[in-house]
Amino acid sequence: MLLARRDLIVAKGRFLLMGTVVALIAMLGVLLAGLAVGLVDDGTSGLMRLPVTHLAFQPGSEATFSRSFMPADAVDKLRGDGVEEAAPLGVALFNAKLEQGGSKPKVVDVALFGVERESFISPTPVAGTGLAGSGPAPVVISQQLADEGVKVGDQLVVGLDSTALNVVGISDVGTYGHVPVAYTDLSTWEQVTPGATTPSGRGLVSSVALKLSPDASVKVGDRAGVDVLTKKESFAGSPGYAAETATMSLIRGFLLVISALVVAAFFTVWTVQRRDQIGLLKAMGASDRYVVGDAMLQVLILLVVATVVGTLLGLVLGSIFPAEAPFTLTVSSVVGAGVALVVAGLLGSLVAVRRITSVDPLVALGSSR
Amino acid sequence: MAPVVAALPNAGAVAEIAPVDNLSGTSAVRPAALEMASVVLRHRDGADEVVALDGIDLTVGSGELVVIIGPSGSGKSSLLAVAGALLRPTSGTVRIAGTELGSLRRRQLSALRRDRIGFIFQTGGLFPSLTALEQLLLVAEVAGQKAAPHRDRAEQLLRDVGLGSRLDHRPDQLSGGERQRVAVARALMGRPALLLADEPTASLDRSRSAEMVELLAEQTHRHGAATVLVTHDPDGLSHADRVLTLVDGRLTEA
Ligand SMILES: Nc1ncnc2c1ncn2[C@@H]1O[C@H](COP(=O)(O)OP(=O)(O)O)[C@@H](O)[C@H]1O
Ligand SMILES: [Mg+2]
Repeated sequence: MLLARRDLIVAKGRFLLMGTVVALIAMLGVLLAGLAVGLVDDGTSGLMRLPVTHLAFQPGSEATFSRSFMPADAVDKLRGDGVEEAAPLGVALFNAKLEQGGSKPKVVDVALFGVERESFISPTPVAGTGLAGSGPAPVVISQQLADEGVKVGDQLVVGLDSTALNVVGISDVGTYGHVPVAYTDLSTWEQVTPGATTPSGRGLVSSVALKLSPDASVKVGDRAGVDVLTKKESFAGSPGYAAETATMSLIRGFLLVISALVVAAFFTVWTVQRRDQIGLLKAMGASDRYVVGDAMLQVLILLVVATVVGTLLGLVLGSIFPAEAPFTLTVSSVVGAGVALVVAGLLGSLVAVRRITSVDPLVALGSSR
Repeated sequence: MAPVVAALPNAGAVAEIAPVDNLSGTSAVRPAALEMASVVLRHRDGADEVVALDGIDLTVGSGELVVIIGPSGSGKSSLLAVAGALLRPTSGTVRIAGTELGSLRRRQLSALRRDRIGFIFQTGGLFPSLTALEQLLLVAEVAGQKAAPHRDRAEQLLRDVGLGSRLDHRPDQLSGGERQRVAVARALMGRPALLLADEPTASLDRSRSAEMVELLAEQTHRHGAATVLVTHDPDGLSHADRVLTLVDGRLTEA
């Protein structure tokens, strides 16, 4: 494949230009991959980090906690064969006033998770204490809230009755619907959440956290007349999740289509310019396979080098992203974006293949006509 | 090592080209390298038909340099295209190294060009990005072989045409005459039975033209190829073994 390699060097201006375009696309691909994973993380890490396999929802609620209610005794009905752990879970979004004594109260968003103090989903603190054994109206906040300045000993005031929750600990509980998660005990949660009790005073929860044994089926939901969804399925109900993932997929899909078209256009023009050379190769008896292989190797070298360079640049750029931005780089998403770009480029270059195979070797003699 | 098996003339329809390993240099019995009989070629040009070749009978033996001289438009390139398995004649038969081309498919013609024919084009037909040496090594690569083992032979061929000190020069670093000599060396690289040169002296001055023909004669005799050189340029004709004239698609003895 002498020609492919030498042409890259001799026509370096043109390939550099094309390589720059591909590298920039690769860079954008890294940023979008980081953003896509970051957004998913920001929307669902509060659920991802739950030690559960499944969550139960009210039928028809489509995994949306704010539309899902079930009596607290659903937990007991669900227990049985195949269910290793079951615990009630309340989820509601609040605007909380941060009382730090003295200073002007600041408003923070919280996704308030209500759990039984001793349950298997009760958070493990990294600072302060957990819910178990703490005083009345305790709240364990996520690291993000701590980063916003909330400290152990502060109070978060929530609900129509302005109930003060006492910050007792900090835990790595993530975010839900782009809002930091905070855990409180179930009775406090029912007290502050509108509609968390029936008019007759029966307690309601949003969901039941379940740990099913590997062979158990989601049919266990029938025991309590609820839908049992896998943890991943329940992400769909996170506010904005479906729209965000669809939008990100659309943008990334478009980027790949654009890459394919750009490479297609470049290699079509390049092939037209190389027509004499291709004709000459064929006159010398080169097979279609050789001529096409030579051209594709050139595309592949260009794509791989440009993608690697662009990806590295994207990683550098990603590392200086502001910490608040929902941006998470994972090896698989970055590598996946790079591979997808190379594949899209190769597919794009396929449009030039017809042009290569259809060159008549007679053009080698044509210069004399 | 697989022996070179050239299909024999009169062996009936030869559908397959036996794989040959010309580059490794096995000796072979080569039948008359080129035999054209009653070849007619008509080009369709819109509604008109142009008769480019009008009954060509031509046999060229191994080690023979035939120069065909004819004015522009007389059918020289057409003749080479047909003799070089680039174009199928409208009628008549063409045999190259004993293989009748009529029954061959496109891919087989391509393989036959690769294994049996060396071309020298009017303006050299060199690849701009390759050095002189690489132009020759490309021949090995096109034949599906590693280039490295053929390096010595390629260097030798370039030395034979007087380019021992130009191995690593690209075409834009060579003079017109040097480029044509690279083209000659490249055409010989695949040990062709048939060497076809289309006006290789067109871009050269008179003394260089005569030298070029002399070089081709020398290489033809040394390598035992059958060489057809078409030109409109009467320089260097004395080096030819045979000179023919082409006028309006018809060949006559000069
Ligand atoms: N592809 C073609 N279509 C139509 N006419 C052609 C074509 N190729 C060659 N001709 C005609 O055939 C004749 C011989 O052409 P050519 O073989 O190129 O001559 P030469 O090489 O001697 O100049 C000319 O009249 C030319 O115009
Ligand atoms: Mg011509």
